[in-house]
Amino acid sequence: MRRTVDTRGWAAGILMVLPYTICFVLFSLIPILYGFRVSFYDWSLLGDKVFVGLGNYVQLFSDEEFRSNLLNTIVFTVISVPVIVVLGLLLAVLVNSIRKGQAVFRASVFLPYILSISVISSIWVIFLQPYSGLLNNLLKGIGIISKDIFWFANPQLAWLAIIMATAWWTVGFVFILYLAGLQDIPAAYYEAGQIEGASRWQSFWHITLPSLSKVTVLVIVLQTIASFKIFGQSKLITGGGPAGATKTVVFSIYENGFSTFQMGYASAISFVLMAVILVVSILQNVVLRRLDR
Amino acid sequence: MDRAYRYTIRIVAALVAVLMLLPIGYMLVMSLTPEGFKTYSGGSFHLSLSNYKKVLDSAPIFGWMGNSLIVATCTTLLILLLSSMAAFAFSRVRFPGSKALFLIFLSGMMIPGEATLIPLYLMMRDMHMLGSLQSLILPALAGPMGIFILKQFFDGLPKELEEAARMDGAGFFRIWRTIFLPLSRPALGALAIFSFIGSWNDFLWPLISISDKAFMTITLGLPTFSSSYANSYALPMTANALATIPVLLVFLIFQKQIIKGIAFTGGKEM
Repeated sequence: MRRTVDTRGWAAGILMVLPYTICFVLFSLIPILYGFRVSFYDWSLLGDKVFVGLGNYVQLFSDEEFRSNLLNTIVFTVISVPVIVVLGLLLAVLVNSIRKGQAVFRASVFLPYILSISVISSIWVIFLQPYSGLLNNLLKGIGIISKDIFWFANPQLAWLAIIMATAWWTVGFVFILYLAGLQDIPAAYYEAGQIEGASRWQSFWHITLPSLSKVTVLVIVLQTIASFKIFGQSKLITGGGPAGATKTVVFSIYENGFSTFQMGYASAISFVLMAVILVVSILQNVVLRRLDR
Repeated sequence: MDRAYRYTIRIVAALVAVLMLLPIGYMLVMSLTPEGFKTYSGGSFHLSLSNYKKVLDSAPIFGWMGNSLIVATCTTLLILLLSSMAAFAFSRVRFPGSKALFLIFLSGMMIPGEATLIPLYLMMRDMHMLGSLQSLILPALAGPMGIFILKQFFDGLPKELEEAARMDGAGFFRIWRTIFLPLSRPALGALAIFSFIGSWNDFLWPLISISDKAFMTITLGLPTFSSSYANSYALPMTANALATIPVLLVFLIFQKQIIKGIAFTGGKEM
């Protein structure tokens, strides 16, 4: 058999990937390399560029503000991810067990997810206001509290406000992925469980949860990455306050880059963020490969 | 016992639905009451559209929504075009380096947009594109999600599809356009929904790139507008409602497709 090289195919293939490749090079590859270079400089916007080697990265260790922002981000991630994932799972199980009107419940849980960060932040800021806000008035009405809660005056409460708003906003995404996962579990599994006399709790624990393990890994990873990149909520709900208590890693990039214009230092922080996300993504691959075995 | 269980489930679900919709209902009611709905006053309560008139008179809400619409639509269409072409090439055309290139693109999924803010800002500034709507569209095109999702979908389509067309002498571009694109409407739709929502809701990059009010997207314009009303909440809430109502209508009409699309694309990130 004679082998011919299909150069017509080559040309077509290369032409078809070319437009995307150009975008990838221009807006992903070059920025990453450029940013990496900038991170080794004392790079101000007006032209002064002094090579400082690892200086920016070393400075991160002694930067109180960055350390506090990093710690805030980690605490937020560690608390919000389990809360949102568990909530999403419970809601999915709940809605999945409803026959009539399932679409309405599904839509109402999912709806907040499609609203923009600006809208949800503003709604929550007004919702949580002392004296005029609905939540304070509701809680007073039921008699749970007697004095208004000043959500934005105290660091823990401010974080609680951000977590509540974030959970309300994004739980729909986790919920939808779990719901799709639940509907993929063959009914035969549950029938077999019933024959063996498994209770609802047992079949949840031994059939539902294991069948959803892949979805669980996925949502934990996606939520962890998203949580680590939190910015909009702390910028728009608390403004980073009180006294910087709700500032995050991306807040550091934003302030160092665009308030004080230390581009080199902000780039170094970007690479720390990217390293964290890279590690999480690699962990995801390792865990998923284990599950496949 | 079983009946009681089913009733409990329904009541809990109804409660959840009310809680989820409460902030949105609060927003709508507040926007429709002249001084903003005050729960404690208990006074007379009547509905009016006066807040809407005030907001529309004092802020270019529709202009901002128009900008968002332009940016999100262009971004979505370009992503669909570029990704479907590249995904088709990766799935069906043999060319040197295709595997390596695909892996490189795939690794791009791990690059968070937040990490390229500084260099993008510097580059856009040098190209004099800072502050323009193009500056919001272009960076989004580098996302490899679409290629990944569509390649998986194309890989699942049977080879016989294009073999007959190839016999007839159809080129790859024609096969992509006349056979693959029409067949992958569900996947393209899902990707379109995902891209559109992502672009519409983007906040950080527009915040950095855009400073001229005329070029703001709605996501950026709203906080700018609200920040000038420190202690009055009715007008900011009305602006929120104005920005939400079109989204709400689209969601109610395409609810099924949107939810399916998000589940499809989200689930594919595995």
